[in-house]
Amino acid sequence: MKSSILRAGVVALACALGLSACGGGSGDLYLAGAVYNVTEDGLVLTNNGGNDTAVVAPYTSFQFSNRVSTDDQFDIKVKSVPSNVEKIEDCTVNNGHARANYYTIGQVSVTCKIRQRKLTASIVNLKGSGLVIINGSDKQTIPADTTTWPMASVSEGAAYGVTVLQQPTGQTCTVSGDGITNSNGTGIMGKTEATTVTVTCNP
Amino acid sequence: MKFPLACPAFALAITLTLASCGGGGKATFPINVTVSGLQYPGLILSTNGQDLTINPPAKAGADVTGVFPNPLEYGQTYEVVPQGATVVNHAATGGAQPKHQNCSSTLFPPYGTAGQLAKIDIRFVCSILAYPLTGNVVGLTGTGLVLANGSTAATVGVNPNLDANKNPQNVPFAMNAVPYNTTYGVTVLTQPTGQTCTVTGGANGTGGGTMDDAAEPNGVNNLVVTCTSS
Repeated sequence: MKSSILRAGVVALACALGLSACGGGSGDLYLAGAVYNVTEDGLVLTNNGGNDTAVVAPYTSFQFSNRVSTDDQFDIKVKSVPSNVEKIEDCTVNNGHARANYYTIGQVSVTCKIRQRKLTASIVNLKGSGLVIINGSDKQTIPADTTTWPMASVSEGAAYGVTVLQQPTGQTCTVSGDGITNSNGTGIMGKTEATTVTVTCNP
Repeated sequence: MKFPLACPAFALAITLTLASCGGGGKATFPINVTVSGLQYPGLILSTNGQDLTINPPAKAGADVTGVFPNPLEYGQTYEVVPQGATVVNHAATGGAQPKHQNCSSTLFPPYGTAGQLAKIDIRFVCSILAYPLTGNVVGLTGTGLVLANGSTAATVGVNPNLDANKNPQNVPFAMNAVPYNTTYGVTVLTQPTGQTCTVTGGANGTGGGTMDDAAEPNGVNNLVVTCTSS
């Protein structure tokens, strides 16, 4: 009699301990990682299909609220992406599928590819050679008589600012905007492919 | 009769075998080096009293490999550093670095004992040095000024504690550092409230230029953003 009660008690205690160790969200390891190339809200990650976690400003890391235990299987997937990322597949999870231990939980990261938008320079009245226009580190030498010139693409939502690095022989060129998305050749890349800046040369 | 003849022959055979197996000395370990990202000359690596000059690859972007002239013997220690570098706790600083670049061996330890690993292969990775791009904002009274250097650098907002100041004053600002041989062009992304700002300075006088030899090693620090009430 006494021994069967004792045995039941031990079994119950063992069950309780087992449950607390393995049950979702009460482990001792935080599942977290670094995030690269994310600039706005919208990235949501899941672990084993649940525990939805939004990546918020400054968009450099994530951490699931549910902790995991050693040897738990984790499987991190992308549920949704920011609006400046084209499709789900453009955000990739690295080392997101493994059994949890101190090593594996430190190896997870998420990298997104932001949609690239065309930036075009419209050139007016360029007669001489030697004009060099830049958008930061993007350097473009413009031949005489050019009327339109593609600059390097710019990430959607990123800044751009086109300036004249070197004037052409015999002329002075200034950069202005298209009057809609930017006024002085500087702005934030929008959601269309139609962003242009105007470079006008005189005389 | 045959036996006494066979004996010296056998002894000779043993001697020959031993000589050929011994290889005439201990195993040796050449110190191999692989350098990635090297673009400019000037890198000299050094260990165990030997120097090895590493020149940029013929094909841009390729890795460069080299071997120190004398291999090490089993048990000899080595530590490969840029020639003349200051080494503290296996961390090397300075020394004979290439122009406009810094090479380091943070991925794999550049030190050890010959025989520890089957092959000694030291890895150095070189990156282009970046230099500061800074200046002052003059006459700022409004809030919200944001400057940009193309798309490559993050936009920089002027310290809000300063730009709300009632008295116009110079406010220093720093853009992201610009790598050597890269152009920069600072523009006003967002004008401050009630003011219009224009950018001057830099190599071309209007906030643009190239981070070239003339800008080394201090960078470009003469940008001036002048703000007036609009």
